[in-house]
Amino acid sequence: MRTLSLPEDARAELATMVREGYPLETCGLLVGRQANGQVEVQTVVQSRNINRERAEDRYELDPHDFLVTDKRARADGLEIVGVWHSHPDHPARPSETDRVAAWEGWSYVIISVTRDGVADLRSWRLDSEQFVEEQIQLCPR
Amino acid sequence: MSTVTVRIPTPLRSFTDGADEIRVEGTTVDDVLKALGTAHAGLLERVMSPRGELRNFVNVYLGSDNVRSLDGLATPVADNDVVSIVPAVAGGAGKAKDRRLAKIKSSIPEITPVQAVELQHEGAAVLDVREADEISQGSPVGAYRLGRAYLELRIEDTVPDMDRTILVMCSGGVRSLFAADAIKQLGYRDVRSVIGGFSRWKNDGQPFEVPRVLDADARERYSRHLLMPEIGEAGQLKLIDSKVLLLGAGGLGSPAAFYLAAAGVGTLGLVDDDIVDRSNLQRQILHTDARIGTPKVASARATLEALNPAVKVIEHQTRLDSSNVEEIFSGFDVIVDGSDNFPTRYLVNDACVKLGIPNVHGAVYRFEGQISVFWPAYEKRRGPCYRCLYPEPPPAEMAPSCAEAGVLGILPGVVGLLEAVEAIKILLGIGEPLVGKMLYYDALRAHFTELKLEPDPECPYCSEGAQFPGYVDYEELCAVSNA
Repeated sequence: MRTLSLPEDARAELATMVREGYPLETCGLLVGRQANGQVEVQTVVQSRNINRERAEDRYELDPHDFLVTDKRARADGLEIVGVWHSHPDHPARPSETDRVAAWEGWSYVIISVTRDGVADLRSWRLDSEQFVEEQIQLCPR
Repeated sequence: MSTVTVRIPTPLRSFTDGADEIRVEGTTVDDVLKALGTAHAGLLERVMSPRGELRNFVNVYLGSDNVRSLDGLATPVADNDVVSIVPAVAGGAGKAKDRRLAKIKSSIPEITPVQAVELQHEGAAVLDVREADEISQGSPVGAYRLGRAYLELRIEDTVPDMDRTILVMCSGGVRSLFAADAIKQLGYRDVRSVIGGFSRWKNDGQPFEVPRVLDADARERYSRHLLMPEIGEAGQLKLIDSKVLLLGAGGLGSPAAFYLAAAGVGTLGLVDDDIVDRSNLQRQILHTDARIGTPKVASARATLEALNPAVKVIEHQTRLDSSNVEEIFSGFDVIVDGSDNFPTRYLVNDACVKLGIPNVHGAVYRFEGQISVFWPAYEKRRGPCYRCLYPEPPPAEMAPSCAEAGVLGILPGVVGLLEAVEAIKILLGIGEPLVGKMLYYDALRAHFTELKLEPDPECPYCSEGAQFPGYVDYEELCAVSNA
């Protein structure tokens, strides 16, 4: 199983963002490094969801936000290693919508959030058109 | 020609040997992307469609501007410009159904098949909401098979008690959640869904049976019956298993047999020794002009089988008498008496009383008709037999037959069909049969009158504890009296 290391403070930040966004979907990018099947997240960035009509169950990340995040990451010698988004009142498993829109080579962190807060946080990666789960390693900064 | 830097996103770096930036030459964005595609096979297909348009899931930026807002692919580039390929990042919690399902799951408890069987033993109702073709492969023992389409309309007839626990099952456990939610909204207090549906039920070794179901042809043929909760699939199967014997394939027997065959009564017996005469065709609609001179039972059979080939027609080209009546009657569920002569009527009555078979009686005279059900063995109400009303036949001169008195040709149609309706009600066990009642129809006044009929407590045939006095052949008494 591939692993994704996530700093504890980044996880806490994700929890805050998805809770504040509830009941709408929130989304953003994961910035870090990846090599040899290991993904190392350094920071998590929130982006605007430009799908306003179905913000409860769809996200479409603002490409301009992507560009800005990408530029900053490159300047820091990092790269965009994946995407995170919330599933309000829904399990932290990729939906068919997620699968169809996914790119190989990125990690997809999905956070299941309810009224009471984060219910589950899992990471997935597309491999031959199927999502395979990655193990999340929480690490202190 | 300008030289620009193209920024490659991580998902596309597998095409650039991991490089995050590539320098290429070109005059427009289109040139640049194509040059990139030439240098790195496979990459261009990800960005552009075969028709040379930018793909929907990719944006291309020149500096900080989306080229879609500039001149698109024709946008010119200058030396040292930066072109960024920005993959669309999208997704979501899935289809509306998935979200709805997640919500339903929070309010409908899910149980395993093993738990379901335990609850069923404690009185819970198992509801199989799968389609008929799925149920034909097997269904839990004792399950109610209501189907999904009419579930909300039918559930209350099946489970009137809103406090009874309902366990909903489908094939995999998803449809049952939606169905359970719908039932819960009707007001049922404890509704649960069986995890894994019938697949898991079977795999876990829980008891199931392969219920009899209608085949596709029958489903289509009887679709109007299937829509009625009083009949439905179970009722239609009951009709298919039923056997009705018609005395006479004449004025009353024709319409009755015709509609009973259409309704799907599986076996129709016909007793008639007569042959088709031209004068019969004014009312005896089973026969045809071409079949004049042929036996009525054979003619009737041809018509009935043409209407519904699934019906089994048993011909008895014979006259009923005391020596054959029990043999002919045995195995039939209902007798429809369409005879128009007293000897037969008394034999039918006596045999029906002895064998406990309901006797649907009809008679016509000119513009009048009468219908009743003589069935002393009927559980819900004690009615008379024919002999309670008329212990002995009248003398022949007082009992005119159609041949003598005439009859409006349509009248036996009305009466024969009322007999058929009574037969169907009895077979299905629905409604109130005309037991202890006689319905009179006066065609000229267009008037129905219902008379109450009392059983004779001293009736030698049907009274409590009566010893069967034996059959009587009144044959010679009224030999002229025949429909």
